[in-house]
Amino acid sequence: MASTFKTFLNNDKTTTRTLLHEAIPITGTIMSGTYGLGAFGVGAESNIKNYSHGMFQSVYDYPYLSSSANHILDISVGYAAASSLSGGASQDATQRKNKINMYNQMAQVLMGHDHTGSIQRFDIDGNLADGAGKMNEVIFINFARLLNKDEIKKGSFKLDLGVASCFSGSDVSMGAQVRLNDSGSTDSYFVNSPTGEYGILHASNLVGTPIKDGPTKTTTAAGLIFYQAGIAVITGSIFLSGSELGISGSALESVTEVQMDLAGLNINNVLTASTISGACDDIRHRISNLQFNNTTELNSTIYFCRLNNNEFNYSSNPTYLSSSQIVTKVVSTDLPVSYVTTMGLYSADNELLATAKLSEPLRKDPSNELTVRVRLDY
Amino acid sequence: MGFLDNSGDIILDAVLTDLGRERLARGDGSFKITKFAAADDEIDYGKYNKNHASGSAYFDLDILTTPVLEAFTNNIGSVKHKLMTIPRNNLLYLPVIKLANGVSGQDAGMWAGTTSPVSTNLYLVTVDNDTSMDVNDSDSEKLYQKTGVIRGDGASSGDGMGNTQIVTDQGLDTSKIPSTFTLDSDLIENQYIIEIDDRLGKIAGPLNGNGSAPSLANANFIDDDRVASYYLSKTSNSDYFGNLEPANTNDGNNNPAVCAVAGPRGTRLKFTIRASLELNTSTSLFSRLGSTYTITNHGTFYYVDSTVRITGVTTGYRLDIPIRFIKLQST
Repeated sequence: MASTFKTFLNNDKTTTRTLLHEAIPITGTIMSGTYGLGAFGVGAESNIKNYSHGMFQSVYDYPYLSSSANHILDISVGYAAASSLSGGASQDATQRKNKINMYNQMAQVLMGHDHTGSIQRFDIDGNLADGAGKMNEVIFINFARLLNKDEIKKGSFKLDLGVASCFSGSDVSMGAQVRLNDSGSTDSYFVNSPTGEYGILHASNLVGTPIKDGPTKTTTAAGLIFYQAGIAVITGSIFLSGSELGISGSALESVTEVQMDLAGLNINNVLTASTISGACDDIRHRISNLQFNNTTELNSTIYFCRLNNNEFNYSSNPTYLSSSQIVTKVVSTDLPVSYVTTMGLYSADNELLATAKLSEPLRKDPSNELTVRVRLDY
Repeated sequence: MGFLDNSGDIILDAVLTDLGRERLARGDGSFKITKFAAADDEIDYGKYNKNHASGSAYFDLDILTTPVLEAFTNNIGSVKHKLMTIPRNNLLYLPVIKLANGVSGQDAGMWAGTTSPVSTNLYLVTVDNDTSMDVNDSDSEKLYQKTGVIRGDGASSGDGMGNTQIVTDQGLDTSKIPSTFTLDSDLIENQYIIEIDDRLGKIAGPLNGNGSAPSLANANFIDDDRVASYYLSKTSNSDYFGNLEPANTNDGNNNPAVCAVAGPRGTRLKFTIRASLELNTSTSLFSRLGSTYTITNHGTFYYVDSTVRITGVTTGYRLDIPIRFIKLQST
């Protein structure tokens, strides 16, 4: 009986899971400078979108009014109600309520609640049980799913920040830099977050020696990276001098603290006196480079299309026949030959559900057999 | 679609079709791949040079360098020409499906009338009664009575159904094997798939001789592009199948002259077409998908061109038949 279909057997199908990684580099000039920055026109860049609610700021890879623009990340800031910035004279701080709300929202999503139902604060060492190491003033960098995909690859995150004290142009503000990375997180990370796994971001000297915490200690914890959520939480104290809070209690250069804007405000003053968008503008201008590898989890079904020696040797192609005679044959004893370019995968009711194309025709005749491995990713 | 890079290792470009994605989205288990087919859509076997001076290794040199297109996601445009499995290697001839438009007594002639612009070698399908009954200014014959015009308006009793239907014959179209021979049973098509744009028309039975409108066939499946598939088998839909017998006399079905194929015969398929309700009641599809033209001595008509595709389930051989749905605009 002539036929054009072949039914898959049980051993013709298998499933696999593959992790696909892409390198995502985000240069500092995308964050600030590429799209319109005249005379320190901080916040005037056309790829930066601010919202009337003022809760966060979005960064695009192109002027956001263009349909070609892709959303790459959001930036926001916040502090805990327990922060020193929240009380006292700071009661009238600009957008104080919004900043606390932002902190609480992110903390309850990323850190969850304790046994009393209270929101857990961000913890620099991942040990939620002790009361130490809480990050009360933080910067949030939320990566778009377009970049993050399924998760950030552990151990691949790098964020370079300019921490030179003076704010007078990128060449000066980037004169001293620290690098935040999660290099130790490949096989050492935390799973006590309700949103998945997270690692600690450690700061180390990249340009100059802004971290001066003794001759042996050159790195220190400075934030958290939530891999599945695609969110980096950076402590605001990274921009403070050691005489104040420093990076998690260690010391940056202690002579002069980092000026976050032209007015010479430090990060604490920016967090209280500026709007969230204004603070985000200042922080963006301190980002020198940002890169990580994302991860896409591919679940695949592999179909092995086995074309045995006595199968698929004839064709229904109209050019295959001339007056009903097979054009590749002269006499009936010649072997039939056909050429495969396409595989079609069908349902039981003969409907085409998937197609696969070979990059070049493959000869099929009774003297050979082919196994075409068709992988469908989901 | 671009071409696949064929400069290095063989790669495979696989995609779900639009229908596959739709079924996957349904989540009802209808996305289940159970079988496969191989095809050679890009191959022109005319490039197979059996007389290449350098020998048999060079016969298919041109074929093997054929560039292959990326995979289409449209389920209709992919896997057009399937490869066949026949458990014998000594076949020199394979059956074809051929339109029996020149076969006497089958009412399968195509339109050959005068039009402006010229449009022949297709079937006209009238979509409403006014179109069917339009009288020729010259010979007073109604349009549906003309050869090549399929009455597609579901004529009311007594009007008659005209003289045209679509008839195809299957078999070996060669005079090198006498038509008195019997076609191998494993090459005979006893099941066909007919595909038609469901927005425009539906498949109906063949002319039944009593003047009443043939009953509609049941579409087995209508895909996301609104292409309907009708599976017709000789056992379940015997009225769609005509007799083709080995020629051994000059009478009736055995007469060598009453078949479109010259050699051993397989099966004959007969059917008509019924216009859709939308074409019957509206001109919107005509405006969107078609145009107007003039049939001499009849008037001006809206038209939409389409094709009916007949595929043999056994051999995978396909035949596309051009059809034109027409609606009277003005006499």
